[in-house]
Amino acid sequence: MSDVNRDELNRNVPPYRHNPAAWNQRLPICVLAFVAAAISTHLSMFQWGLIDSVWDPFFGDGSERVLKSGTAEKMYSILGIHDAALGTLAYLGDAILGFGGSPRRWQYRPWLVILFGIDVIPLGIVSVLLVLAQAFIVGEWCFLCLVTAVISLILVYWAWDEVRVSLAYLRLVWKRTSSRRLLWRAFWGYREDAFDEAAESLLSREVR
Amino acid sequence: MWPRIVEMMTAVWLALSPFIFRAQSDPVIVWVDSLVALLIVLLAGASYWPRGRHAHLVILLVAVGLIVWARFAQSPPPPVHQNHIVVGLFLLMVALLPNEASDPPRQWRETDATAR
Repeated sequence: MSDVNRDELNRNVPPYRHNPAAWNQRLPICVLAFVAAAISTHLSMFQWGLIDSVWDPFFGDGSERVLKSGTAEKMYSILGIHDAALGTLAYLGDAILGFGGSPRRWQYRPWLVILFGIDVIPLGIVSVLLVLAQAFIVGEWCFLCLVTAVISLILVYWAWDEVRVSLAYLRLVWKRTSSRRLLWRAFWGYREDAFDEAAESLLSREVR
Repeated sequence: MWPRIVEMMTAVWLALSPFIFRAQSDPVIVWVDSLVALLIVLLAGASYWPRGRHAHLVILLVAVGLIVWARFAQSPPPPVHQNHIVVGLFLLMVALLPNEASDPPRQWRETDATAR
């Protein structure tokens, strides 16, 4: 990477006053996702029968009733995998996809940013739905499930700016070229002069 | 090359899985997990070799095979097969990442587009 100007990689991307793909923006996401993955693994181990109880300082055995509820069992029979294990997978995916790519990945690897967004944003929505299911269907609460739901929402909030910038870049490529082929190439991170121009016009926008 | 390291670590987890999930009495699971883990390590290792730098993409096929086997071997899948599904889906994400995952792609490392 000797001939790449690191300042160029780290340029702020309007309308933000920061670079949403910078390491200092992405590392907290990865760390928090690892924490959530560890919590989900603890819940999975209970659902898999590898441990006998779940840590819950507030709701007593409410967590265990939520994790062994009819709703949880129904989801298991449909998905073929317990919901906590699915959570572990999704949070590990957030962390790994968050680590991938340079601080300019919104332009150089839009596919990775979009994949990251697909992993983070629906996960946040599913977490909220599961919390609502706890309250209104199961009628019990699970402390660690609530913690992971809050983490999911924080991850959505933190990840959104990068996904937005990447989509704005692809939109600019489309507006400038009106070519599906070039849009496809931009999505996969190929290099063309038109893509440099689209990125430059995005970077030179005025920050309000 | 860190994604390849993550794949190798996942392969170690897979090889240990029958013992963690108390399925070591099933020789099919022990053999399949061991052989698939070995295959993943070989493919991830081959990606270090310049001519085999895309070998990690073959892990995508291995992961799909692992998921399909685990999903349909027993229904609903017991914990050991759920672990296979999770490992398979996780490998699908990791194996997509290129070798130099934290650097810009090669063609973007040149100072201008005409230099490629």
